[in-house]
Amino acid sequence: MRTRVAIAVAGMSLALAGRALAHHSFTAEFDASKPVTLTGTVTKVEWTNPHTWFFIDVKNPDGSVTNWGFEMPGPAQLLRAGLKRDTMKVGDVVTVDARRARDGSNNANAQTVTAANSGQRLFGGAPPGQ
Amino acid sequence: MRKLRLVFALVALCATASIGDAQWLSIPLPGTPRTPDGKPNLNAPAPKAADGKPDLSGIWKADSMRYNDNLLPPGTDAPMLPWAAEVYKHRVETMGYERPMTYCMPHGVPDAFTPPMPFKMIQTPGETIVLFEEFHKYRQIHTDGRKQPEDPDPAWYGYSVGRWEGDTFVVDTAGFKGSGDGKEGSWLDNNGHPHTDALKTTERFRRINFGRLDLEVEINDPKAYSRPWKSDTIHFLLMPDTELMEHLCENNRDLQSLQEYWGKKK
Repeated sequence: MRTRVAIAVAGMSLALAGRALAHHSFTAEFDASKPVTLTGTVTKVEWTNPHTWFFIDVKNPDGSVTNWGFEMPGPAQLLRAGLKRDTMKVGDVVTVDARRARDGSNNANAQTVTAANSGQRLFGGAPPGQ
Repeated sequence: MRKLRLVFALVALCATASIGDAQWLSIPLPGTPRTPDGKPNLNAPAPKAADGKPDLSGIWKADSMRYNDNLLPPGTDAPMLPWAAEVYKHRVETMGYERPMTYCMPHGVPDAFTPPMPFKMIQTPGETIVLFEEFHKYRQIHTDGRKQPEDPDPAWYGYSVGRWEGDTFVVDTAGFKGSGDGKEGSWLDNNGHPHTDALKTTERFRRINFGRLDLEVEINDPKAYSRPWKSDTIHFLLMPDTELMEHLCENNRDLQSLQEYWGKKK
């Protein structure tokens, strides 16, 4: 029971974190009811406005590889939340908790990003500078 | 005494440096009242300008996203005319995917103040300037005694003239860009309350103390609403010891995905 409450609270705070996007409508592009957690190797980081994007290669159970794209707030909001343009580098292995795009593509909105090796939280889990 | 001050300054500097990772760009700004530990005293009285009026200058950010979604006090509705109610319903049902920001057009008056990004007010004797971090936009509020122009060229933010009523800064704005069906020009909020070119806004700013600024807005648009209505009281919190950063629309990946997804649903 307590776990359920914890999950509900976590979900709520994640939903709120997602709402912190300033640019387009979050709910129009991403579906808060479609969470996805993926681990993969960073292939590209676009440290750009109005949103930062990064991409990871994820190994599928059948051995194939899928490239996933994740949206985050723009650099100003990320800088205020303690991230820098080199916090994530190509080749880093990260675990991303995200909400999938409504269009069914391999895009999602990142809620938390964690370094897979060290377990260090790189983004999210606390209000991102809001 | 001077030594003591220096020690305080150094302690403050170390303190800000140690949390530098969590609070980007911490620059102790002169003119900021401070508590003995060197932190900004956000509860200090509002500063005064040379003319004795409150000085609204500072970097501010809304304390909640809810005004950005909906300007109205919770549980209330705007007195929309039937066509405006239809436009609003469509925008809510389509989750605001078409809002101007999708195309990197700015928020309007007053909701450019309310996204989760700061704005900077610069109060000078004849003009108050607002710099919006979002999309690098600005507003000019003339305070040199001029009147509203009789036939202003329609503009996204309209034409703004400010005056003081006691300690309240009152800004009248008219001359907005907008078509009769509310489809051109800004949205009043993210949910999509429409306006037309007949819109007139009256913004009332009050600096409660050093760290807080309040705003109430009256919306008067007889082509879209059956009577004037007021926004909820919007609270802004000062972001001390920092500055604005760049936010240009250089990589709008969202646009195509939103157009494709919602275009198919039409």
